[in-house]
Amino acid sequence: MTSAQRGRKGMAFRVGRLLAGAFMLVIWISASATGMLPGPTEVLVYLASMRPEELFAQVLKTLYNSITGFSLSFLISMALGLISHKSNLIMGFSEALSEIFNSTSALVWSLVLVAVMGVLSPLPPILVVAAVTLPHVLTATVSALSSADPGLLEAIRAVGAKPSDEFFEVILPSSVPLLVSASRVGLGTALRISVVAEAFGSSGGVGYMIIRSYNLADASGVLAWSVVLIALVLGLDQLILKPIERRAKRWLE
Amino acid sequence: MAGMMLRVSSVHKSFSEPVLTDISLHLKEREVLGLVGPNGCGKTTLLRIMAGLETPDRGDVKVMGKVGIVFQEDRLLPWKTLWENIALGLKYRGLRGEELIGKVKEYSEMVGLSKSDLALHPRKASGGTRRKAALARALVLEPEILLLDEPFTGLDVKARISLREALRLIWSEYELSTVIVSHQLEELLLLTGRVYVLTPKPARIAEEISVEGMDLKSRLDRVKEALYHILSRTPGSEEPLS
Repeated sequence: MTSAQRGRKGMAFRVGRLLAGAFMLVIWISASATGMLPGPTEVLVYLASMRPEELFAQVLKTLYNSITGFSLSFLISMALGLISHKSNLIMGFSEALSEIFNSTSALVWSLVLVAVMGVLSPLPPILVVAAVTLPHVLTATVSALSSADPGLLEAIRAVGAKPSDEFFEVILPSSVPLLVSASRVGLGTALRISVVAEAFGSSGGVGYMIIRSYNLADASGVLAWSVVLIALVLGLDQLILKPIERRAKRWLE
Repeated sequence: MAGMMLRVSSVHKSFSEPVLTDISLHLKEREVLGLVGPNGCGKTTLLRIMAGLETPDRGDVKVMGKVGIVFQEDRLLPWKTLWENIALGLKYRGLRGEELIGKVKEYSEMVGLSKSDLALHPRKASGGTRRKAALARALVLEPEILLLDEPFTGLDVKARISLREALRLIWSEYELSTVIVSHQLEELLLLTGRVYVLTPKPARIAEEISVEGMDLKSRLDRVKEALYHILSRTPGSEEPLS
C-alpha cells in the first residue's frame, strides 16, 4: 500500500469517527426536541454552572475507585497467572474463579458489598471494580503468560539464562502487548462499573452524582454527569491508554 | 582424543518415528565440518544433540569445550536492540560495565555490524544483519565449538558473501571448531574441509568426504554425486539441495 493510499484510508477512518459523534448528537437533539430529555445546550449550561472543585473531586473519586479496583484485579491476576504456570491445581482454581466472577453481575456485587460494608464505606466501588474486571484480566494474563515463544526461551537458555531470566527477559516482555491491550479494555470497563457501585453508596464519585441528580428529578444533572463520565472514559483511553499501548507494541511494528 | 573437539558415537534418536540411526562422527580442532543431506533428514536434530539441547535415546556425545549455537531463525529477542541481544549471555555471566561493552564491541565489529546496526530492533534490521547479530551473540561467549544451523538460508547474495567473509575472519582470529548444516551447497563447500553426507530420514552417515585441496567445482561435483547416489536409492526422493 502506498503512503497516499494509507493517508486516504486514515482520513476516511477519522471522518467515520466524526460521523459517529455527529450521529449521536443528532439523536440527542431529536430526543430533546420531543421534550423527553434536556438538550445539549441545557446540559452545557449545567456543566458550566458546576463548581470546578466539585467536578474535580467527583472525577478524582471515580478515577481512584476505578484505578484501585483495577490494580487489585491486575495484581491478583498476575499472581494467579504466574502460579498457574507451575500448578494445575491453581490453573483449575483460576479458571473456575474466573467463570464464577464472570457469571455475577456488577449489580449483584454492588448490592451485596454495600449491604455487608455499609453505604458509607469507600470499599464497595473498589471491590466491585476488582470483581467485575478480574475474569477478563485473569483470562488475558494466563493466555499472555503462556504465549512466550519456546524458540526464544531455548535461545536464551543456550546463552546461559536461568529460569528467572527466562521470566524477565522473555515471558514477561512477550506478554506486555497482550497485557496492555487487556488493561486498556479493563480500565475502560472499570470506569463504567465503578459508577454503578458508587450509585449504591454515598461516598461520592460520578456515579453517586448521577443517582443523586436522578433522585432530585434533575434530568440536566443526570445527563451532565453522564457526559462527564463519557469524556472521562474517552479521555483516559485516547490520551493515556492508547499511547501506552502503542509504545508497548513498538517492537511489533 | 588429542586434537578432537567433538565426538558423536552411535547416536540414535526418535520422536514419533526414528530420526537418527547409528550416527558417528567427529570434529577436529579448528576444523570446519559440513553436514549435508536431504530436507528433513534430521540434520538440525543432530546439531541440537551436539549442542546439548536434545538428549540422544542411545549413543554418546563427547564435547571437549564450550559450545555456541546459531539457530536457523536467528531467535533474537524482538523487544531488545541488536546490541542488547548480543550482550545477553555476558549479562547472565555477570559481566557489567566496560568489560561487557568492550566484548560486545569486539565481536560486533568482527562479524561486521556497525554502531547504527546495533541500535536497531530485529524487525528493523535486514536478514543478513540479524544473522550476524545472532552469530555475535554466540561468539561473544567465546565458545570453542560453534554450531551453525542453515546460516545462509533466506539471505541474498550480498548478505551471503558478507557473512561468509565474517566467518573467515573469525576463524582466522579465534581458535574455533565449527559444524555447519546448510542446504546452500556452494556456500557450505566454500567454507568446509570435510563433509558428512546423511541419508533421508531416519538419517545415518552415508559418506564422509574430505574436500580439502579441491577447487569449488570438484567439491560440488563430488558431494552432489554422493547425494544423487543416496537419493537414487530412495524411492520418492526429490532433489532438495541448491
